[in-house]
Amino acid sequence: MQSKLTDIELIEQTLAGNQSAYADLVKRHQRFVFTLALRFTKTREDAEEVAQDCFIKAYRSLQSFSGNSKFTTWLYSIVYTTAMTFLRKKRLDTSSIDDESNLIQVENRNAAFENNMAENKSRSYYVNQAIEQLMPDDAMIITLFYKGEQSLEEIAMALGIEPNNVKVKLFRARQRLKEKLERNLKHEVNELI
Amino acid sequence: MKNIEEELWNYLDGLGSEQERERISHLIATDKAYQQQYEELLSFNNELESIELDAPPMAFTYNVMETIRTEEASKPLKAAIDNRIIKGIALFFIVSILALVGMALATTNWNSVTTGGLKMPADLHLPSLKNIFNNTALKGFVFFDTVLALYLFDGYLRRRKPVGDM
Repeated sequence: MQSKLTDIELIEQTLAGNQSAYADLVKRHQRFVFTLALRFTKTREDAEEVAQDCFIKAYRSLQSFSGNSKFTTWLYSIVYTTAMTFLRKKRLDTSSIDDESNLIQVENRNAAFENNMAENKSRSYYVNQAIEQLMPDDAMIITLFYKGEQSLEEIAMALGIEPNNVKVKLFRARQRLKEKLERNLKHEVNELI
Repeated sequence: MKNIEEELWNYLDGLGSEQERERISHLIATDKAYQQQYEELLSFNNELESIELDAPPMAFTYNVMETIRTEEASKPLKAAIDNRIIKGIALFFIVSILALVGMALATTNWNSVTTGGLKMPADLHLPSLKNIFNNTALKGFVFFDTVLALYLFDGYLRRRKPVGDM
């Protein structure tokens, strides 16, 4: 059962030495943090690692949280920096774009896509699939705006950019998502015919 | 100049002035192109609002808390000790020293000092400063202290975490 206390109350209890209060905070925000991490990493294993890292970093820096913004805005800024660092590290570790592992991954994705063809899937499945195909930044902005209960100003704070930039990025991200969604659905219809 | 799509997204997001919103609302009601695109975007917007979040593995919270507990347990003793305890010990020593100084001052016979009771030995000669600073052992000692100070300062700079990391 989730705690009825607010985020700020849970933070105060954590700072007073009550670790189970922090466990409640983790439980409350884990799904969203995990989803955001998944937007960047694309694999569940890596997303779990990034999300776990975010909560540990947040715990270590909890004293520096001033309370001027929402806890979630502060937490999402940690997710963004941690995920970006992870991606940079991953790019350094990856020797080439056309190496064997990437080929396998692409093949697996295509196979999964083909296997799911016959199933009757909801439209939200295709929306999620199209979000997965977006660039991490676009996917993150869309997720923060629609599922993170964050205003444009709060997203700007989390990503460290201007609110006007967020507005432009959100507009472009939605355009790209719409295009991908239409293309995927068209592909599906063609396959069925 | 904004295009129709941009205007409609602003309208759907609740952005723009009241006047602007009324203008778009009127256009949706009267203009076929606006109406068609509005319905399309509204449906897309509803789909985006209904996307589901992914769930992490069941043991996620447990794993996070376990890592935190392990970190806390492996913290150095210095960091784990409550600051109040350190301050308490410091206060005890300060009070003890002040009490000793107070006692010493209270038990001193001040009359013997003013009447010349304190006499220095006649053959007392202070060593020459020149001799002290020419001493090789002292130079070595100062050199060792300087190296040690630089080493400790370097260690301090390395340990210091960057501020505003998050």
